[in-house]
Amino acid sequence: MDLALTESQELLRSAARAFVEREAPGHVIVGLQREDSRLPAALWRKAAELGWLGVLVPAEYGGSESALTDVAVLFEELGRGPLPGPFFSSGVLGTLTVLEAASQAQRRAILPAVASGETVLSVAITEPNASWGASGITLRAPRADGHYRLDGAKVFVSDATEATHLIAAVRTGTQAEDISLLLVDARAPGVRARRLPGLLAGQCEVTFDGVAVETAGLLGERENRGWAALERALLRAWPVLCSYMVGGCQAVFELSVAHSRERVQFGVPIGRFQRVQDHIIRLVNHLDAARWTTAEALWKLDAGHPAADAVHMAKAVSSEAYLEACNAAHEVHAGQGSLVEYGLVPHTRMSRTLFSYLGDPRWHKRRMADVLEW
Amino acid sequence: MDFEVTYTDEQQRFRGEVRAWLAANVPAGITRKPVDDADSLARYRELRAFGRKLGERGWLYPRAPKPYGGGGLDVDHTIILEEEADRLGLTLPPYYDSGGRLGGATILVWGTEEQKQAFLPPIYRGEVRTWQLLTEPGAGSDLAGVTTAAIRDGDEYVITGQKIFVGSDHGTDRIWMIACTQPGGKRHENLSWFMIDANLPGITVQPMEILGTGGEGGSDPVQKNTVFFDQVRVPAFTLVGGENNGWKAASTHLELEHGAGGRIGRNRVWDRLLAYCQQTKRDGVRLVEQQDTRDVLADIYIKTQVMRLFGLRNFWLTYAKQPRSYEGPQLSYYRKMTGLWMTGAILEAVGPAALTTDPTWGSPEAFLEQQQRNGIIAVHPGGTADIQRVSMARRIGIGRGAREAAGTVH
Repeated sequence: MDLALTESQELLRSAARAFVEREAPGHVIVGLQREDSRLPAALWRKAAELGWLGVLVPAEYGGSESALTDVAVLFEELGRGPLPGPFFSSGVLGTLTVLEAASQAQRRAILPAVASGETVLSVAITEPNASWGASGITLRAPRADGHYRLDGAKVFVSDATEATHLIAAVRTGTQAEDISLLLVDARAPGVRARRLPGLLAGQCEVTFDGVAVETAGLLGERENRGWAALERALLRAWPVLCSYMVGGCQAVFELSVAHSRERVQFGVPIGRFQRVQDHIIRLVNHLDAARWTTAEALWKLDAGHPAADAVHMAKAVSSEAYLEACNAAHEVHAGQGSLVEYGLVPHTRMSRTLFSYLGDPRWHKRRMADVLEW
Repeated sequence: MDFEVTYTDEQQRFRGEVRAWLAANVPAGITRKPVDDADSLARYRELRAFGRKLGERGWLYPRAPKPYGGGGLDVDHTIILEEEADRLGLTLPPYYDSGGRLGGATILVWGTEEQKQAFLPPIYRGEVRTWQLLTEPGAGSDLAGVTTAAIRDGDEYVITGQKIFVGSDHGTDRIWMIACTQPGGKRHENLSWFMIDANLPGITVQPMEILGTGGEGGSDPVQKNTVFFDQVRVPAFTLVGGENNGWKAASTHLELEHGAGGRIGRNRVWDRLLAYCQQTKRDGVRLVEQQDTRDVLADIYIKTQVMRLFGLRNFWLTYAKQPRSYEGPQLSYYRKMTGLWMTGAILEAVGPAALTTDPTWGSPEAFLEQQQRNGIIAVHPGGTADIQRVSMARRIGIGRGAREAAGTVH
């Protein structure tokens, strides 16, 4: 048993922290909250040069094929920002979906460009009914003349406006899990991505208006195999998303402790008051619950142990933790925390977004109970 | 990271040795729920006899140093022993004993060589059982306010006062206590620890009637006592850690008591609760198949898993000698609050069957009724949940000026 990071993980963590602090300091993060903002191209390019867009891409396609535990170290640092952008959408969920679903030839065609940052993937699953199961997918893709034709919408798709390609989950058969995955050029005629307004981070609506996708865009060689592939990809992607949330919780914790020392009311730093202390203790308990459930799930996946119950638990715990951590931080900060330029609001926004993204806590808890065969 | 303890061939051989030894030496029926007081005493005697057998091999306190009668084993061998004991529903030590884990650990840090030689071997060999005496009627959370006096008189101290919420069933051999060695002296600089014989003239033990049930067996029995001291004379040699230095020595004791040691092992209440809900029907449907109950069970399960992970983390921090900050009191706080919360959650999941000891209408061996009681009373021993929060806040450095280091243990 050894719960410490390895030496190389420590190095990665320092490098990632320095990168985020240099390339995306507070005012940049705050600027990225605007609905019309885009991740600076230079930042994306530098991340590609550091190899961070291809961490899960096999070495033969120009990636580093890292263990999930290593990837998680990077995403915890991104989550501290929280640095938005398609790091997770393209580099983790998109990449894993291609790895699980695509043919050899497709992988060779897609993944090198993902690792270099030229191709940016976004996986479009949810529809207006917002269910995370296979039954939630109703978008049909009738096939004719060597093309699939798409008419309909996907919502709460992460980073679609930044994506060059979408991986759309579509219904291609009559059975419950007759789902296929189509690679769609985001610039194809009839595809429109729009960032959703409100207290969301990077979540988009994607509409397909008579979009023709060549049958070669079907990931894998056969239809109706998409759901199983997506499930395998999600199993590995969820705990990386959890690490991002752990990083968010950690940042919010540090902000709150610092504020408790600096803010003076009634002649003393407010952290001297036990009511204020209680908020921070609630916060740190959520932070550590998220940290350790996530770490164990990652370790189980890397070690090849059955991990589904641990993964669902980690997503449920981390989603709740990030939301509750932000709530506690707002109680500590009062008015200060509501100022957009201060830096807490980006976390608040992100915590709400990721609470339900790829399955909310209740959904994951129920999946966990099923996996445990109660 | 690696959450798994991996075992060498030598360690696997050790596991085989432990398993075979336990199979040959654990008395039949030792984990039974006693049927009456006489059976409870009989069972306690069996546990003590078994403890002495463990002690002969150094397995009662496997981590304790060998020169003083401990096992001198490393973390991995200790885990193997604890896992094998856990398989049989036993803990190490198999009865309530504050001697090795708390008193012994403090003596190892603060005792003289002569004191270590005198006090530790009987503890580690299981020859004596020790109770810790801290709380008094006027000094609960405010431990520094204890007034039980220990006044020097030649080569002896004379102890007078009252301690409450002490020990377990069936009496004790030794007492590990904190007392005031300078009444009226400066706060935090007037306390000392003593390791004394429990059967001296002037000591009276009186049971307290409290909410908990259960009794001897695990590490958290709930029978408690009041102990009166009336002019009890003890040798000066029994004072550990220097006169009036007791507050500093207390930090070693309290850190351990507040969960810093961490632990591994299953959550037995959870295992039994799930089995109960899988077997019990409401409206003809098994509880575990009812969505509302299933949701509550998921919440309970997750909290027990988080508790397990906090325990595992603290276990690792301790034995890998990693720096620690708030993790000890955090585990204690989380454990206490989860236990209290679970009383309500279980009531919601199971209904009033959780409240009765009736063999027909309650749970097997009334394990749920026991959880209802113990979940409530466990909030206070070893420092209340609120005290754990105070301790966490201090160590995190909340509200402290930048000049004061955050996260230091003191």
